[in-house]
Amino acid sequence: MPKRLTVVPERCSGCRICESVCALQHFGVNNPKKSAIRVIALYPHPVIRMPVVCRQCAQPKCRENCPTDAITTENGVVKIDPDRCISCRQCVISCPFGAIFFHDDIAVPFKCDLCGGHPQCVQHCPKGALQFVPDHGLGEANRLASVLRYAHMSEVEYVEKGERKKLRYAEIGREQQRAAQEG
Amino acid sequence: MRRSVGSSSGPRKKAEPSPPVQGGYYFRILWVDLTRGESCVVPFSERFALKYVGGRGFGAKLLFDQLPRIADPLGPENILVVAPGPLTGLYLPGAAKTAFASLSPLTGYYGDSNMGGNFGTELRQAGYDALVIVGRAEKLSFLWIDGDEVQIVPAAHLAGKGALEAEGLIREALQSQEVRIAAIGPAGENLVRFATINCDWSRNAGRCGMGAVLGSKNLKAIAVRGGRDLPVADVAALRLLTDRSMRELMAHPLFEFWQQQGLMSVVDYVNSAGVLPTRNYRENVFDQAAQIDGFRMEQEYKIGDTACFGCPMCCGNICLVKNGKYKGTITEGPEYETACMLGSNLGVGDFAAILKGNQLCDELGIDTISSGNLIGALIEAVQTGLLGADEVDGLPLDWGADDQITALLEKIARREGVGDIIAGGSRAVIERWPQLAPLIVQVKGMEQSAYDGRATISMALAYGTCDVGAHHNRAWTVGKELEAGGRWTAEDRVDLVIYHQTIRPLFDMLGVCRLPWIELGFDENRYAEFYSVVTGVPHTLGDLLDRSRAIWDLTRLVSTSRGVSRKDDYPAPRMMERPVEKGPYAGRVVNRAEYDELLDLYYRKRGWSADGIPPAARAREFGDPLG
Repeated sequence: MPKRLTVVPERCSGCRICESVCALQHFGVNNPKKSAIRVIALYPHPVIRMPVVCRQCAQPKCRENCPTDAITTENGVVKIDPDRCISCRQCVISCPFGAIFFHDDIAVPFKCDLCGGHPQCVQHCPKGALQFVPDHGLGEANRLASVLRYAHMSEVEYVEKGERKKLRYAEIGREQQRAAQEG
Repeated sequence: MRRSVGSSSGPRKKAEPSPPVQGGYYFRILWVDLTRGESCVVPFSERFALKYVGGRGFGAKLLFDQLPRIADPLGPENILVVAPGPLTGLYLPGAAKTAFASLSPLTGYYGDSNMGGNFGTELRQAGYDALVIVGRAEKLSFLWIDGDEVQIVPAAHLAGKGALEAEGLIREALQSQEVRIAAIGPAGENLVRFATINCDWSRNAGRCGMGAVLGSKNLKAIAVRGGRDLPVADVAALRLLTDRSMRELMAHPLFEFWQQQGLMSVVDYVNSAGVLPTRNYRENVFDQAAQIDGFRMEQEYKIGDTACFGCPMCCGNICLVKNGKYKGTITEGPEYETACMLGSNLGVGDFAAILKGNQLCDELGIDTISSGNLIGALIEAVQTGLLGADEVDGLPLDWGADDQITALLEKIARREGVGDIIAGGSRAVIERWPQLAPLIVQVKGMEQSAYDGRATISMALAYGTCDVGAHHNRAWTVGKELEAGGRWTAEDRVDLVIYHQTIRPLFDMLGVCRLPWIELGFDENRYAEFYSVVTGVPHTLGDLLDRSRAIWDLTRLVSTSRGVSRKDDYPAPRMMERPVEKGPYAGRVVNRAEYDELLDLYYRKRGWSADGIPPAARAREFGDPLG
């Protein structure tokens, strides 16, 4: 089942643990400047902290613009072939998210490879701001939120095992009635 | 409860040759002379690294060496040491601290203050264990350290700008999101003696007036960028150790609550414990505490979390005022100290007004603790008739009068009218108005933090003997003494204060935050394990505590050489003479005879004279060279 790394910026605290573990996983060093995920923090207008990381595009601009065909997609993961790469950094510029990085110590640009299907940043994020979700789950959170935001709901309060609970429901036919009355 | 720390007196073990240091240090100090416009890299030895560890340890030693040359804390000859620690920037909880050490313009004695955020990580990645700034730039400038390239960049256009605004403008000019910028506001430029240095929007080196030191050097900011690997002897072992540590920390039952409220959870605790300074420390409970506590913040103001580098605890709260006269005020904070000193201590029960004060202090670059403390004393003085309205520029100062309070903050930073007097700190205010001496809660010229000292005499001793002044950073014994203190002997109290004064500064030497240990019970022994795998030299916590204890003697020597002695180690007059008016400890004062007994015992345990002076032989132990 294909999965995707997604970001929930509202939850990000900007702690950069994702950067640390990414660099450790891929280069075995403590060096956030060698990580394939970077937290951008802006303030005070707007206030936002957002990890920037490759989205493994189906039609990747980096691949399109690579002059040596060094970029390929394998099992949904966009990869840079170090043998073909000439380190012109065209991909770094082309990526619409700025999610490809380079460092003077490293011969070719580097990017997220999803850690072979077990992304370390997701595992170590203390805020749940990074998620690894199945493709079919994409957008689900927003779909759910939009349903929950539906305004014309009725509410009933009840007590279950001594605990006060609320149940929200949409009453069938009530909307047409209301529209008829108002009309 | 009691922890013993190796005594400084008695025979010392002969040093055995230790294995080579394989990590933790670049062995490079960047030395910048602004007067000459030059910089160089000064190497140091392994022996130096292990003896002084880093952070405040390096700061104290480098300051001690320069001391004979320094006449005035605000003179060009004073040095500012900016020192992260050997653990800063690494993958481990709270690896974010940088010490700013100097001869303090607030006290005239040893001073250091540390900052979280990302600055220390960046400075280390630029390849330096510490930065020393000496001299004075001819014109207002900022220091730009881009790895090996060091430049002093003219910055006349930044004159008078807020600290956060300057940070934004410099980032824009350098065209990089990766640059970290520690900047001062107008207060630092105007040499306000409790001016701060700010970075990452709201991370401050807040105490001791380090912002004024930077201002005295005509330096608006330090910008830094680097990409080096951080040196670690055993990367794999560190990673395993940290994975385990993070799991333990995050499994703590209070972890999520801490993420939600951070230090703001302390307001409630301190108020119910009856030690919340209220109306210039006259009272110890605040009737409007529920209006300015963590729950209130969560319900109405909090819009996000922030964290320092590498820390899962995300203590920082981003707060926005959505309604009322402060609508649109956005700030990171407040922390507990600010909520108290700009809140209860000034009789302010409007959380939005505290947020406004917090934002102003960050932007102007002044310490919220010192500011709230001094403004509280001024309000009391006006209210009790010790000062006339004409002496405070006609401001109708009163408890909870937030408009006047914010006006005063601006005046202090810009040194306008009465603000010019307050900007000099406690000493200057008392010099101008001696009748205010009983009102100002300070030790060694530093205004006291937000825990009362009368309920627990060990906390009074902590403030009295703290090496930078009346600050809670070195020892915080209130909680323990309130819980168990009824059964304590004088020795219990002194031992706890000394243990705290040994372990808490150790965090400032290693370049890490002490909050995982304090707030979530993280095992302090783990830091010795971190230091061991990072340096490749096995250490126990005891080894590190011995070094921290030695640094305490060193900072004392810096201060005693400037005249500090027993007379300066007493809590403020208010703590000793004026009983608490309200709260469970109403009627309490610090008993002088009992305090004297504690102080005698404290000096004996430290191996100092009855006047609080370390033996002369001790000074010679710190005379060693860097190389």
